[in-house]
Formats: sequence, C-alpha cells, structure tokens
Amino acid sequence: MGKFLLLAFRNVFRNRRRTLMTLLMVGGGVAGLLLVGGFFAFMFRGLRESTINNGLGHLQIFTAEHFNRDEVRVLDTGIDNWRQVAATVKTGGHVRGVAPRIEFYGMLSNGVKSSVFMGSAVDPEAETSLGFSTRLASGRDLSSKPGGEVEALIGAGVARSMNVKVGDGLTLLAVTSDGALNGIDVQIVGIVKTGFKEMDDRYLRITLPSAQRLLQSDRVTNLVVGLDKTENTDMVAAQLAPQLGGLPQKMVLKKWIDLAAYYKQVHTLFSAIFIFLGVIVFFMVLMSSVNTLLMAMFERTREIGTMLAMGTPRIWIVALFMLEATLTGILGAIVGVVGGNLLGALLNVSGLHMPPPPGNTVDMPFRVLHEPGLMIGASILVIVSLALASILPAIRASRLEIAEALAHV
Amino acid sequence: MDEHQELVNVKAVCRRFSLDDGQARHVGHSFVNALDHISLRVAPGEFLAISGPSGSGKSTLLNLIGCIDKPSEGSIHVDGVDTSTLKPASMSALRRERIGFVFQTFNLIPVFTAEENVEYPLLIQGVGARERRKRVAEALESVGLSARSHSRPDLLSGGERQRVAVARAIVHRPALVLADEPTANLDTKNATQLIGLMRDLNLRLGLTFIFSTHDARLLEHTPRIVRLCDGQIESDTHPEGGSNG
Repeated sequence: MGKFLLLAFRNVFRNRRRTLMTLLMVGGGVAGLLLVGGFFAFMFRGLRESTINNGLGHLQIFTAEHFNRDEVRVLDTGIDNWRQVAATVKTGGHVRGVAPRIEFYGMLSNGVKSSVFMGSAVDPEAETSLGFSTRLASGRDLSSKPGGEVEALIGAGVARSMNVKVGDGLTLLAVTSDGALNGIDVQIVGIVKTGFKEMDDRYLRITLPSAQRLLQSDRVTNLVVGLDKTENTDMVAAQLAPQLGGLPQKMVLKKWIDLAAYYKQVHTLFSAIFIFLGVIVFFMVLMSSVNTLLMAMFERTREIGTMLAMGTPRIWIVALFMLEATLTGILGAIVGVVGGNLLGALLNVSGLHMPPPPGNTVDMPFRVLHEPGLMIGASILVIVSLALASILPAIRASRLEIAEALAHV
Repeated sequence: MDEHQELVNVKAVCRRFSLDDGQARHVGHSFVNALDHISLRVAPGEFLAISGPSGSGKSTLLNLIGCIDKPSEGSIHVDGVDTSTLKPASMSALRRERIGFVFQTFNLIPVFTAEENVEYPLLIQGVGARERRKRVAEALESVGLSARSHSRPDLLSGGERQRVAVARAIVHRPALVLADEPTANLDTKNATQLIGLMRDLNLRLGLTFIFSTHDARLLEHTPRIVRLCDGQIESDTHPEGGSNG
C-alpha cells in the first residue's frame, strides 16, 4: 500500500507544469469559496449581532398563552410575576441582564389627525445595561427617571404623517385589561429611523411604567435576556428551560434565531447564493480535471499496458488513477486554504469598505472571517470533485487492450 | 518431447486481425492472418529465439504465449494450463505469477527507481516487505546493477535499463520469461551483452527464455531458433544439437 501510494504521489508530480496548473485551478476555486464564504460569514455575524443588539436580545421569555393572545388586550396573557421570573433568570451563568417589555397596539392623535401604532414599552435602564440601542434620527433616548411628562420615541414615518417633531405632544389611546379605552398624553423626546419604512410608519416607544398606566396592568408581555456571548445561547436556553418549568405560569423560551425573521431571510438568500457558487466551482473543477486526467491517461497508455501485462489487477489501475486525482485534490485544497487565508488576511488589513447596504448610510467594512468549517467544506468539495473526475479516465485506463497499449507510440 | 515435460504447448494456433473497410477494400479481404496454424512446444529450461523479418508474427506469437492476447483458432497451454479457457482475471493471475516480460522499449515505470521497478511484480503478488527486499537485491545482483539500484530510469543507459527490465522479469521466479525484441533499442555491444546475460540466467537459474529478434548476429550461441515467415514456422533448428524443423 505504501509503495502504491508512493507511485500515485510521484505520478502527481511527473508533469510539473500541468500539476501546477491543476493545483492553481483547484486552489483558486477553494480560495474563492473561502473569500466569498468568509465575507458572507462576516455579514451574517454583523447582521446577527446588530439584530440582537437592536433589542431582540439572545433569548425572550413569554407566557405559553402569549402566542394565542388577543392583540387588543395584550396583557391578558402577560407575565404576572415578571420580577420573580427575571430574578430567577439572572441567577444563571452567562446572563448579562433581563429587560421587561410590553408589546402593545393602539392609536395616537395630535388633535387633528389619528393613526395606529405598534408600541413597545421598555425599562430604559435595563435596555441600556444590555447595550440595546435605538437609531435616533433626532432628539434623545427615553430617560430612565423622567420628570412630570410621559416621554415617547416615535418613528420617522409617524412624525412625517402626523406632522410632529421633538418636543411636540401626542395622545395615546389603548384598551386596558378590563376592556376599557384609556388614554395618556406623551411628549416626543426623539425620532427613530429603524431602516425599515413599514416599521418607521408605526413605531412608538414609551417607558414601562407609562404603558402599565395606560393599559392598567402590572404585567409585561415578555422578558428579553441578554447574554455575554451569542455562542452561549443554546447552552443557557438548555439551563433555563427546567427553571422556567417550575414557575406557576407556563412559560415559553424563544431563542433569538426563532424571532429574527429578517436575519433568517437574509441568511437563506446568501446561503443559496453561496451554494450556487459552490456548485459552479464543483463543476468547473470536475470538467477541467476530466480533460487533464484523460490527457495523463493517454500519455501513459504504454505504461498502463506494461502494468497490465505484468498482471496488475485492473481494479488497481482504477484505484491508482483515483488516488492520484484525490492526492491532487488534497494538495489543491491545501494550496487554496493557505492562499485563501493569506488573501483574506491581506484584504482584512487593507481597510477596504463596501457600499452601504439598503437602509444604511454607513459604508460596510470588508472583512473575511477565517471559518474552519468553511475550509473543511470547500476542501471536501474539490477533493470529491477530483475523485469523481478521475472515474472516467480510470475506467478507460483499466479497460485498455494490453497488446494495443504496448504498441502505443 | 513428452507432453508432461513441456512448459508451453502451442497447438495449431491462428491469429487473425480484422481490417477496417478501407484496408479491406485495398487488399481484397476483411482480415489479415498474423499467425497461420502454428504449433510449437517448449520444454522447461529452454533458451529459444524466435526470429524472422518484421511482420512475420514474432510479437503476435509472444503475446499469445504471454496471455496478453487470445488466439482466433487453436489452443495454448502454459505450465499445464489451457489459456484459451481462462477468464481475464485468471489470465492476469497467470501472467503475474508464472510469466516475466521484457519489452523492446524497456517500459520501466519512470517515477520509480531501478529497485522499485524490480520490486513491482512482487508488490502486485502481495509478497512481504522483507522478502521483497531480499529478492530485489538478488535480482539486481544477478544483472550486475546493485550499484545503480537507487537510480531512476532516466539516469540509466539503454543497456542498464534493459538489465533492470530483465531483473524485473525474473524477480518473482517465473516459469517463463518472454522478451519481445529486447535488443532492438540497444547497440551491438549492449545487445550481445544482454543476450549473454539472459543465457547466463537461463543456465544458472534454469529459467526458460523465449525471445524474439530479427538480428541474425544474436542467434550465434542460441541453442534453439524458430524462424517465422508470413505467420508460419519456416524452420525450428537446434544449432547446438540437431534440428526439429
């Protein structure tokens, strides 16, 4: 076996120029996949962290009934003793903090015009401690200790349609837990641009006590949990699940990925693009390798004839060709992984920036992540591609007529 | 010759090759007879030369005896086995275990050293590493190339390459060594030396050699010469001890 492997290895290098071209082609394919995949991974990571830090958190806790709630009386299915639940969650490892929220709906009016809103009530201090940020276009964030006025942040679309600005007042109307219509006056302290027009046209944010006063309830709809690292999400979720199961109210724990619909859409789209690129590289390597290996087989016709004449089993010839192709694939993958990572590192230090993505005004830095999983995947792809490419030449070589092969010039 | 003593028995063998349409129209028939009802017996330990002009059927006969090709008619027994009934895998096994080949153009594996080329027949027989090393050393010693064992073929002269090929043909101790025009690519001196080496191995180790040549000068000390012409045996002579022809 050792000698057979040696024979295959030496055969790989017998035509150095051709081998170099093959290695460059295979390596180029791998490097291309690593650069594109590494950039996509950087984008995914950036989108993931911004999704989490924009307020989604790593985990969210709801009551089990929340998902069958009446959207007018949202707190009917809210968390009753949320302070106790939050205290329980905070005792777990890797938990940075817990932010209570009320997600509610209602109407707002400036006395002349009315509009519906999708409201979110927050504890500004808890939000800040978790690093959640609001994208303020003007004004300031909600104060954790407001004075007499009830503060509110509204979306840029709301401000435009209601013709209001920072410092103006609005009246909020919502249905209380008892089913009565209640209203409070608020003062606009900031205008937010989320990057999504549909959201900006309905966005409203007030403090938790203000919302509880409006809705006449102490409950919250959900608790947002922030962790030290996103990678710990699954582990913490597994730890929290039994603790939540012991509470009087039946709770449901959702991971960020379950709630990040936009992230999932982007991830699915770019993953499909990446798979398409992978398929192109696979067939590019496959087709050009078939040609190269057929040429190699043709050049070695007499040698194969000699080996067969000496009694070499035909399956050995097939194995030899496939082994040579696989070795070429492995060497090409090494060239690609080394080259791709070096090129990626060079691009990372070059300070390149991409144009701003839709909904953003800031250029996006071009970064390539060095993903071990991607390196292994791209390497396997080209190795398999070369092994498959060798099947046809290998079978042809093994089926040569010995007498004709020996007479081959 | 007693049938039980024979190593090779060629019985009324014909080998016809089909011609393509253009060639068939040109010559007026659809096939060419490379061998025409040839019969030949070779005893163990013989040193036999097959001579004749180009196209006389020398290589075809050696290919048939060597189980590289199959006869169109007749049968060939090698070492008691009727090769015409063998399946490809069994023919391959027979070649691997009982026959050694020396080719006109040496046909060494270019990426292997002399030693590794000689080792190859043992490798495909599954002989253990220690036994391989011993036998390879003996074979290279017997052709006088121990000192060049680590050289690749491209660093060897034509004569040295062919001696490596002879070592490769005998290393697995075959019953029969077939050499098709082994001297065709050698100068007269190297050609004479090679035939001398083969004869020496024949006498010393009792190996049976059948080789083809069209060079009459190399036949001077050959004990048996079969002359072919147009696919038929013209004569079968024993210059050192009488004639069968």
